[in-house]
Amino acid sequence: MTTRRIIPLTPATGAARALPLPERPQLEAPPPLSLYVHFPWCVKKCPYCDFNSHAPREGGIPEQAWLGAVLADLQHALPQVWGRRVHSVFIGGGTPSLMSATTLDGLLTGIRMLLPLDPLAEITLEANPGTVEAGRFRDYRAAGVNRLSLGIQSFDDAMLAKIGRIHGGEEARRAIEAARTHFERVNLDLMYALPGQTLDMALADLETAIGFGVQHLSCYHLTLEPNTPFAHDPPPLPDDDTAADMQEAIEARLAAAGFTHYETSAFARPHEQSRHNLNYWTFGDYLGLGPGAHGKLSSHEGIRREMRHKHPGRYLEGAARSDFIQEAREVSVAELPFEFMMNALRLTEGVPAKLFAARTGVPIEAITDELARARERGLLDTADGKLRPTLQGRRFLNELLQGFLKD
Amino acid sequence: MKHIRNFSIIAHIDHGKSTLADRLIHFCGGLSEREMEEQVLDSMDIERERGITIKAQTAALHYKAKDGQVYNLNLIDTPGHVDFSYEVSRSLAACEGALLVVDASQGVEAQTVANCYTALDLDVEVVPVLNKIDLPAADPENARGEIEDVIGVDASEAILCSAKTGLGVEEVLEAIVARVPPPQGEPDGPLKALIIDSWFDNYVGVVMLVRVVDGELKPKDRILLMSNGLQYPCDQVGVFTPRSVGRDALRAGEVGFVIAGIKEIEAAKVGDTITLANKPASAPLPGFKEIKPQVFAGLYPVESSEYDQLRDSLEKLRLNDSSLQFEPEVSQALGFGFRCGFLGLLHMDIVQERLEREFDMDLITTAPTVVYEVVLNDNSIIRIENPAKLPEPGKYQEIREPIITATIFLPQDYVGPVITLCNQKRGNQIDMRYHGRQVQLIYEMPMNEVVMDFFDRLKSVSRGYASLDYDFKEYRTADLVKLDLMVGGEKVDALSVIVHRASAQYRGRELAAKLRGLIPRQMFDVPVQAAIGAHIIARETIKALRKNVLAKCYGGDITRKKKLLEKQKEGKKRMKQVGNVEIPQEAFLAVLRTDEGK
Repeated sequence: MTTRRIIPLTPATGAARALPLPERPQLEAPPPLSLYVHFPWCVKKCPYCDFNSHAPREGGIPEQAWLGAVLADLQHALPQVWGRRVHSVFIGGGTPSLMSATTLDGLLTGIRMLLPLDPLAEITLEANPGTVEAGRFRDYRAAGVNRLSLGIQSFDDAMLAKIGRIHGGEEARRAIEAARTHFERVNLDLMYALPGQTLDMALADLETAIGFGVQHLSCYHLTLEPNTPFAHDPPPLPDDDTAADMQEAIEARLAAAGFTHYETSAFARPHEQSRHNLNYWTFGDYLGLGPGAHGKLSSHEGIRREMRHKHPGRYLEGAARSDFIQEAREVSVAELPFEFMMNALRLTEGVPAKLFAARTGVPIEAITDELARARERGLLDTADGKLRPTLQGRRFLNELLQGFLKD
Repeated sequence: MKHIRNFSIIAHIDHGKSTLADRLIHFCGGLSEREMEEQVLDSMDIERERGITIKAQTAALHYKAKDGQVYNLNLIDTPGHVDFSYEVSRSLAACEGALLVVDASQGVEAQTVANCYTALDLDVEVVPVLNKIDLPAADPENARGEIEDVIGVDASEAILCSAKTGLGVEEVLEAIVARVPPPQGEPDGPLKALIIDSWFDNYVGVVMLVRVVDGELKPKDRILLMSNGLQYPCDQVGVFTPRSVGRDALRAGEVGFVIAGIKEIEAAKVGDTITLANKPASAPLPGFKEIKPQVFAGLYPVESSEYDQLRDSLEKLRLNDSSLQFEPEVSQALGFGFRCGFLGLLHMDIVQERLEREFDMDLITTAPTVVYEVVLNDNSIIRIENPAKLPEPGKYQEIREPIITATIFLPQDYVGPVITLCNQKRGNQIDMRYHGRQVQLIYEMPMNEVVMDFFDRLKSVSRGYASLDYDFKEYRTADLVKLDLMVGGEKVDALSVIVHRASAQYRGRELAAKLRGLIPRQMFDVPVQAAIGAHIIARETIKALRKNVLAKCYGGDITRKKKLLEKQKEGKKRMKQVGNVEIPQEAFLAVLRTDEGK
């Protein structure tokens, strides 16, 4: 049987008309799944930090109650992720390294019992150099943690004091040595543009970090977040140009040292990217457990974001009656392009263009105009079937992303 | 008619005119104690706050004098500012007498002098009154001397009073009866009535305040407005006490209101003569003038969606203010707005403030400009009210600018700085006279320089003691140029100004530097240039921002970062796009607010 094709008289080239947004996302398959577990306590809250972290009340950290609640939380959430394999686990905080190895072991054992955890899964734990005991690192490793992320920030005692950290430069060095002894994969978090910091000081910190031979570095520009002590009473920070000089120098130095700058603030040796974070940036799914943890889960119904009860007391208290969720909502189709881009365009190499439809359930033709505008502004490159920020697009990522916000 | 006295009060702002008027009304029982609001004649909020009377109002009072007779005293209120000198002259033309109220502690001010001269020119009997004599700083002898010296009126019988305490109020009333002549006129002649003021009332349409000179006017008469030939049937006549009270007729010598179903305020022009259609006067009363706006500025809504609301508001204001002119204007930088014409700077301020206060508008106002005459190459003359519309150099032969004669009164301590200021403003000294401690300076000055910021600077260099009055003199050829500002190579039309060539360089540098400081850094270098035609006279560069990235995007929680970006984007909506540069509203506002010398 032959079908007659009608050849349009007007050529199909030229500006393609944008498709209307579908009514709801149409996903063909669920994306990869990760697990995030939040441990909300710190010895002391840092003045720049806007994460959900709390200094423990008198009586110490209720570790056991927390572990029980998190596992109950997971059990309660299982129907949402039924049968899906977990590719990575990230235990963040707060300061999870305040947790005893026994509790951690209980947590990972519980997760393995309840979920199909990939045998090669990346399991990262965040640690604060001020809380390190070498013995504990060994036990963490034995419990199954295979990647350690250390919040070093700086090696300079004066800088560390200014940003309210509980550790000094020497402790930072010792913590890295200990981490390197027990973990094959270590990330160091560094911050630059600290109060009173010069370009040379920032580079000295970086040099020290490189010297430890770690696989991964995250270099963050210190920013003043709303509702933090620094926002209320800002310290004198280096000006924008100095901060930009620091960033460029850091990028150049790390490139020379063999690190790939693969995301806005993340640098890795070959094949050493953070798989867990890559899952966020490629708009994968994640289940968030623990006080204030955020999750994003896709289903045939759509894409849902949820947040656990934020206050630790409230979370622990609600666990007994399976009351974990503080907020949950479906992400509307109109918001999805922005949410996808906000993650994907952080990646230096961007993502394959077809990932957009695969992860959002929205055809990419629905954002034809936005893509064209971003290209015209020199912020986005769509060649070779990719969505990739240009150098200008990476420097002005906010400008690029705003183009995908619905009006 | 011999029991009628029509009078005005001439006074400088703050010298107590309104307070005295209140006292007189109160004394004659025009309003009961309970109805007596303070300063009843200043009915608009803004007037009460600023102490300026905008629209003339009136009160017909019954006063039983010491001679036992009852007199009808018609108080005709006058506006007290330089912008409204024509209205003042019409109010005075309707009177036989005027109280010259001088603050005994401060002496004579420029505005008082100008109005007093107007009164004398119109053969109005001037009765000096020294007010505020209750103040410890009062110096009646000195004030008397100044009145005689500066104005040339005999002040030996000046009445001492305090409107605040009520002292001397009866003496003032007696003096009005004794010294102000009764009106002259032909009660049986053809009607001639002078329009002193007119305003729009939502219920009855235009209300005209008139002084009947000859004849009489009754409801059902068919009236004829002599300047435009329009005819209307008269509905109602009456007087203000200051409440409105209907009458069966207004007769020669009387002051009162006329309502004739007029819908447009433009039809009832101040200074026009009303006569009867079936028995017209042979000639109108002298002195009628069409008044033209002298100062123009663009008014733009901050939110472009409020354009319609701005137009409605302006239309409502014009119902009561025939001197306000406006027409739509498009600025590439500010969007849709209106080019508005005003009598002067105070008038502009008042309109702006009323729009903001009564109509709740957020406005951007461009720099005020005067009307230039431009002689084109074909010898035709065009009038330019908007600097952006000035033809390119080479397309015209010359520009003429309005020149004013400025009279400045000031204490002699400030003569030095004021003369320096006048010279900076391209002033040309015509005269300087000492009257005791006061100095009178007369300058010829380009009006353009006066509308820029002259008032403010005059006040600041004289610590508020100098007073100014000005009159248009003539158009004069001057070496003027249009100074354009360009951002990212694009002309910002709303910021173009016409300046003298000699000050172009300085202004250009100043504006470019200011703008550089106000425009946020962008993704690319942005040149800010000042140019005369194609000739760049100043350049500044806004260095490109190096980055605009959120360092940490904690994968799990995107909501806060999303809000931050939404806020950034929202902020941009309030920016005006010039080429590919985003300029915040505040930058326009700050540049348009000239603050040199502060």
